[in-house]
This record gives sequence, structure tokens and C-alpha cells, in this order.
Amino acid sequence: MSEAWQVRPVVRGRAEGAALVSARPLSFLGDLDIRSGRVVGRSSDLYGEVVTGRVLVLPETRGSAGAWRFLYQLKVHGTHPAALILRDMPDPSVTQGAFLAEVPVVTASEPGFWQSVGPGQWLSLDAEAGVVRRD
Amino acid sequence: MKLSERDRAMLDGAEGPAAQEAMEALVQLGNAYDAADMVDIGYAHVHAGMALYKGDVELIERIAGQGARMAVPVSTNIANADMGDWQGTGAPEALGLLQKRAEAAHRTMGSGTAFTCTPYWAGHWPTWNMHIASIESGVTVFANSVLGARSNRDGFFATYAGITGRYPRFGLHLDENRRPTHRVTVTARPQGTADFTALGYAIGAKLANGVPLIMGLTRRPSLDELDALGVGMATSGGVAMFVVPGVTPPYAADHDDPGLPGVTVAEADVQGVFDDFCTGSESGFDLVHLGCPHASYEEVRHYAALFAGRRVAEGLEVWLTTNRVVRQMAREAGLLAPLLAAGVRVVSDTCPISCHFACTCSPDPALGVEPPSLRTILTDSAKQAHYIRDMIQCPTLFTTSERVVDSAVTGRFVPRARPNE
Repeated sequence: MSEAWQVRPVVRGRAEGAALVSARPLSFLGDLDIRSGRVVGRSSDLYGEVVTGRVLVLPETRGSAGAWRFLYQLKVHGTHPAALILRDMPDPSVTQGAFLAEVPVVTASEPGFWQSVGPGQWLSLDAEAGVVRRD
Repeated sequence: MKLSERDRAMLDGAEGPAAQEAMEALVQLGNAYDAADMVDIGYAHVHAGMALYKGDVELIERIAGQGARMAVPVSTNIANADMGDWQGTGAPEALGLLQKRAEAAHRTMGSGTAFTCTPYWAGHWPTWNMHIASIESGVTVFANSVLGARSNRDGFFATYAGITGRYPRFGLHLDENRRPTHRVTVTARPQGTADFTALGYAIGAKLANGVPLIMGLTRRPSLDELDALGVGMATSGGVAMFVVPGVTPPYAADHDDPGLPGVTVAEADVQGVFDDFCTGSESGFDLVHLGCPHASYEEVRHYAALFAGRRVAEGLEVWLTTNRVVRQMAREAGLLAPLLAAGVRVVSDTCPISCHFACTCSPDPALGVEPPSLRTILTDSAKQAHYIRDMIQCPTLFTTSERVVDSAVTGRFVPRARPNE
């Protein structure tokens, strides 16, 4: 049975993909290899995973204002995530990178989403209407 | 979001396709953060166009080619090669030439081409209550905390702000977000810029985000120390503004807020940052770096005095990075001569983590970029050490400026003195 949550659109668009879920903040500059989309930052619990095509679920982003450049470079190399779901509003640099990369971003505040979302679950995100669905 | 008549005209293309694209992007940004309207900005610090990233110089050329012209004073951020002497740093010719294409595009748009992370040392000095946009987190924190200007931690959209002269009113452009959120008691006694980068780094690591009210400093830090404090915080955390009473406009010297959540930063926290960035071999360092962020004139003067009459140890490469303006002033003041005589390379426009040493970039293979194999880099900045670890992925050594120079001259690492020494 599919479930749905209301979310706040930050960068509009629609996307779907398998969830990649982290309990820790991620820095786009330093934690990701732009050519492979692989998480290389050892402080991340996603170390070794590839973000390409995934719906990346994070509590928050951290680190350099160069984040936008790395998110945009992921797009240039075709290694970008399908979408971002965050608990907290991202740094403006991350948002600006997502606009350039055309990667939809939403923030989810419903505790139910964070309690039940798990890795590999198929998520569809409508960042126009402000809804995330799990099949 | 409420838009002015001119904002709407730009959206309709009245000022050309570049201004139209820029305004569309800024409206999207404002909507994302629920901005009520846009503000006039007085200055923007923008992306250089980085030759080590695929398609990045072309991004700047495309905007310049659309007829973009800057509506406000603009400076350019750090780049991937010293455009006056890339050969001296071992950068391939093709990389230097590609980087210079970005310089030409910026000049077409009317930007000041300082290519630096410290444009304030090159004369870009926004003042109290001026709204600005900045791509460099160090510029953001210095502007908010020392100058009293208002800036978020922007990305590429600083360029759009420069083209339109506008920016959505959200984040640190609003008074309500410029109030302290944490009260940080500093019991450490930092001295000099290396200590202040470590203090800032320790604060940023403890807070992650927010606006720290910094109490307990026993003297007013120098401008260079305030600069170092800010870049440290912006590196380990997302801190974009700090408040030092009596320094940060408009907070008076007797300002306090005991009700805020409290954090203490002791000498052990500061020393811990130095210890954590000493991962390399004490006799195996091959590159010594000074000038992160890009050195001010006062810092160059200090380094010149430290190196005067001495000589860098055999087999060591020493870089002092600064911007073009400071280097020119230093040359005319006779400060470059003792540095060059000692064997120091004075580099502008870039730095180790921003040049072809970084292995996290994605240069066009045709450029022939091959990061050199470095054993250990010795530095006097927590910011540089952090990004050497993450971007050059090479061990580091970290000590005070004076002791970095002693280490460079003797070839043996001299760690920071612990307080009981």
C-alpha cells in the first residue's frame, strides 16, 4: 500500500528513485566524487554508496559554500541524485546548486516520514504539489 | 514575492537575456525561502569560473556572451591557476590559458578581477547595513561579523545578484536572523592568525550552525585575527556570522545575553584542532603553505620579517598565497625581495587546495592535468588543513605562522607551543 507525506517544495520539479537514507549531515564539497557520484567522505554513513539516480534523504547539509559547484558538477557528469529530501532548509549555496542542476529539493517535517523511510524504498516526489509517495 | 517595477521589467527581458535569466533565478530562490521582496545590493563577490571543473569557464563565457554587465561593484573569487605565472606552480599551459579565458569574460562584464578569497584586502570593503551577495563563505562571515554588511552563504547566484543588483530578502538579510543564538565563552588565549583559525574551527565544530556570541576574549583581535576566526567557523560548520561585542556592528562592548545556550571553548579545544591536523611526517613535508585565506598586506609584512635573511631548506617548496593587489603593494614596498631571496614563491589567484593539486576536480582530460604526488603539506591555517585533507587527500601538519617559517627553514616540523611550555 502506498503512503504519502506533505512536504515543502524548495526546488520545484518531479522525480522518483530508490531512497538512499543517511542519519548524518552531508557535505557536497568533500564527501562526494563528482565523476562517479560515490560518497567518499568517511564521516558519512553513506560511505561507498553512489548517489546517482537515487532520492537522497538527509537530515541536513553541511560544509562549504562551494556545495553548489559540486552539486552542479554532478549534473554536468550525469552522476547527480534524482532528488533531495531534507529535514532542515539547506544552505542557500546547496539550493542554488540544485536550481542549476535541476534537481528537485523538498523539506519534510512530518515525523512519520523520518520514522518509516528506509534505504531502497521507491520514492516519488512531486515538488510542485509538495507530496512524497512511497510505493 | 513582491517585485519592483524594474524586477518585473527584467523578468520580461527589458534588460536583455542575461538579466532575464538572472532575475528568474533570483525569484525562484526568493520563493524557496519565502522572501517577502527583493533588496538592492551594493556589491557582489562572484564565482571565478574554475578551469579544473568541466564546463565551468564556459558557464562564465556564456553569461558574458549574452551581454551580461554588472550593475554593482563586483570582485571575483579564487581561481584554479596563477594567471600571471602558472608555469611557476607547475600548472599545464592549457590550464593556465583556459583560466585566463574566464578573466577576459569577467572584464567584459565589468567585474574587478582580483581572483581572491579575501577581496576586502584588495579594497572591496562593504559597510554597515549594505546588502551584498557572496560566493565565498569567508567573505560572507567577514562582511556580516566585522563590517556589518549583510550576506548569505551564496553559490553561483551571487553572479545573478551582481547582474541585477538585486537579491531576495531572506536569511542574514533580515534583522531577526542576525541575533546571537549561542553564547560561546572562550577561555583559551589565542595569539595570531593560526590560533584564531583553530579557535573558529573549534567553535564551528561545536555549533554547526547559528550565530555565536563570543565572550571572554581579553583584547580586541586584529583585523587579520578576526578574518581567521571567521574562516575557521565557516569551514567546520555552516556559521555565516559571529558577534564579538564592541566589534560586530551594531553590538556594543557591554552587550551580553546570558539566557542563550552556552558553549565553552578552552585551550584544549584549540590545541585539539592543531593535533587533529598533524597527521603527516615531521620530517617528510614537501610543501609549506602560508596565506589561507589569501594574505593581507600586514600578513605579507609579517611573513617577510620572519623570512628576512633566512633560507628555505633544501628540497622544500614554500608558497605564500595572496591577491594581486596585495602582491603589487608588497612589491612596491620592498617586501617581496626578502621572501624571494629566502626561496619563497609568492602566488596569486589560487592556492594549493584550489589549484591542480586537488584531486576532487574533474578537468577536461585534454588539459593534461596530473596532480603531483605530495607527501605532507605544512600550513598555518585550519581552513587550508581541512581542505588539504578532503581535496588534496594528503597528510597535513599545522602550527603557528612563526613556527611554520622555522620549520620551513630547518626542514624539521616545530609544533605549536603548549601553554605550559
